[in-house]
Amino acid sequence: MAELTYREAVAEAIAQEMRRDEDVVFLGEDIGAAGGVFKATVGLFKEFGPERVRDTPISEQAILGAAMGSAMTGLKPIAEIMFSDFLAVCWDIVANEIAKARYMTGGQMSMPLVIRTANGGGSRFGAQHSQSVENWAMMIPGLKVVAPSSPADVKGLLAAAIRDPDPVMFFEQKSLYPIKGFVPDGELVDELGTAKVLRDGGDVTIVALAAMVPRAMKAAEELSAQHGIEATVVDVRSLVPLDTQTILREISKTGRLVTVEENPRLCGWGAEIASIVADEIFWDLDGPIIRITTPHIPLPAADALEDATMPSAERIVREIVEKID
Amino acid sequence: MDVIMPQLGETVAEGTVSVWHKTIGDTVSTKEPLFDVSSDKVEMEVPAPAEGTLLEIRVDAGTTVPVGEVVAIIVREGEVIEAKAAAPAAVRAEAEVAKADVASIRSNSVKAANRDANGNPLSPAVRRLVAEHDLDPTAIAGSGLKGRIKKKDVLAYLDSGASRAPARRFPAPPPLSFSADDTEVIPFNKLRKLTAEHMVRSKATSPHVLQAVEADFARVARARTGVSGGWKKREGYSLTYLPFIAKAVCEAIREFPRVNAAIDGENLVVFRRVNLGIAVDLDFDGLVAPVIKDADQMTLQELARAIRDVSERARTNQLKPDDFTEGTYTISNSGVFGTMITAPIINQPQVAILSTDGITKKPVVIETDDGDTIGIRPVGVLAQSFDHRAIDGAYSAAFLNRVREIIQTKDWATVLS
Repeated sequence: MAELTYREAVAEAIAQEMRRDEDVVFLGEDIGAAGGVFKATVGLFKEFGPERVRDTPISEQAILGAAMGSAMTGLKPIAEIMFSDFLAVCWDIVANEIAKARYMTGGQMSMPLVIRTANGGGSRFGAQHSQSVENWAMMIPGLKVVAPSSPADVKGLLAAAIRDPDPVMFFEQKSLYPIKGFVPDGELVDELGTAKVLRDGGDVTIVALAAMVPRAMKAAEELSAQHGIEATVVDVRSLVPLDTQTILREISKTGRLVTVEENPRLCGWGAEIASIVADEIFWDLDGPIIRITTPHIPLPAADALEDATMPSAERIVREIVEKID
Repeated sequence: MDVIMPQLGETVAEGTVSVWHKTIGDTVSTKEPLFDVSSDKVEMEVPAPAEGTLLEIRVDAGTTVPVGEVVAIIVREGEVIEAKAAAPAAVRAEAEVAKADVASIRSNSVKAANRDANGNPLSPAVRRLVAEHDLDPTAIAGSGLKGRIKKKDVLAYLDSGASRAPARRFPAPPPLSFSADDTEVIPFNKLRKLTAEHMVRSKATSPHVLQAVEADFARVARARTGVSGGWKKREGYSLTYLPFIAKAVCEAIREFPRVNAAIDGENLVVFRRVNLGIAVDLDFDGLVAPVIKDADQMTLQELARAIRDVSERARTNQLKPDDFTEGTYTISNSGVFGTMITAPIINQPQVAILSTDGITKKPVVIETDDGDTIGIRPVGVLAQSFDHRAIDGAYSAAFLNRVREIIQTKDWATVLS
């Protein structure tokens, strides 16, 4: 078991899969010799060379168009979009082409590619480089959507995404790149569509994703120590497929749901979970559903303002204490 | 003078006034029944506590009240009543309101029960529990914001045993449609209702397994014949097979104590005493199972007398509440009608029940040193239903086999002499 950073786990997963399968190729801006702008792909260029690890021009449409074409013709590309905000410029390729190819060809063509991207705020990059856009991808039929919160999950889920025969959107939360965590040695392949219960408590179930998971865990410890409220914490990990069995089971146990979402409030993934809860386990609810989200605003770049808008551990504690009874 | 709901036995907390034998203004006496009271164990007549006149009836027939509650007021001979209390009318009015409430809740449970005592709406989880257990949410203390009831408050309330009705686990079937001309409708009396409820509960609670052995009663028959004339002359009734079987059961329980037990949560509570329930049919008008305490300490003769005693008192409605408590194992006897085998339902919370059926002469292969022969022997089936949560088939079978062995091999003639 080695202690890795979240960014090192990205490179480890890609290397693991490129060693295993020579059809796996990797392309993106500055991912090669530079090792990625977030240093998440260090060492890959040196090991696998310029044929399989390709630096591209600054054109997101070119990156995803090339990835789509190579996937159609037998390769298993990993494409990096440096900031997830930039997905907007290539959304036709993602939403209309990549997501629909298997359907439109009656299953004759699969699209075994992964779109990796640095997502979310907390790094003072401002409104056009900090958005949490996993819900954009979640609403497109034909895409799988993954957003890990720990180095071990990065490695296992990214490996699983690369092996998946269909397109997977892989959202790395950029403020998590420096965090460290233990990752099992050897080959690691996780299972897409599975949530993880990280903490067991009897009073409330906090459901969180990506950067909100460590904050939810910190809040849960604070709730236990300071307020006698025991929280279950579920890491969603995968929005599509969504592990409703685990999520609903854990909510039923406590009768209370709190979602902690980085995305702006409207149509955040937590709204979808709240809707499923209302459909499936309404009679298990013991009080209103609480959604803790970033407000429906462009994310500010100023430190104090960005901190004030994204859900923090303190805010999670405060809102739960105020609303849970 | 107050007439109160009597204590019907040590373990009984409330009683139901099933019928009033007197109306207001009637003369009442300590020698005449004033009202009948029933509990989940027994139905009994209660005489007036003193000679006098019935002034008020405070509890209508069919109503269940706690032990010690005033059910009526009588004026003793010579007693002067200064002013008639206004309370009874108010109490009755309150009862009417309560009934109306219950009716409206039943007819539209969610709508009527959607607020707690503080006016807070109930959560879905609380509403479901309230509906499932037929609870009055205004009676539940809430621990949430502004006294809001949380799910754990309802669970605590249920745990405290304060709910007003047991859970309705079985949805009522739709009413039958039938022609009044072609049918006779027999309303369930109290005992029928209790029996019905108990049987359904027992079957729902215990996974029943039936096992049966065939026993040769030759030795028992010989012993009975040997004493029958003298016994009947002396005791006034015939000596039946049942005391022999009861004796054999008591002895076998010593070796297999786990059939003499009850389940409490996830524990098997094995009883050191053997208190034998004897199922008695009340001339096709109900079934009771009075208990013979410490049956294992009795001789065969004492057992015979005790069985006779409880059967007689059962048929003449003379059983006392304590005759029904503390049973640890039950025997049901359908033998008089010549049945071959009966699968009995366990008398909760016990874990096993034995049915004895007809004992009839049959050709039986008898093994001797000189080879097998066929003899005519009185043979009967002993069938035991046991709770498979408590014990397994091998244990039950070994117990049954031991009962058979005792019946077949004991020197009963000597035991009786």
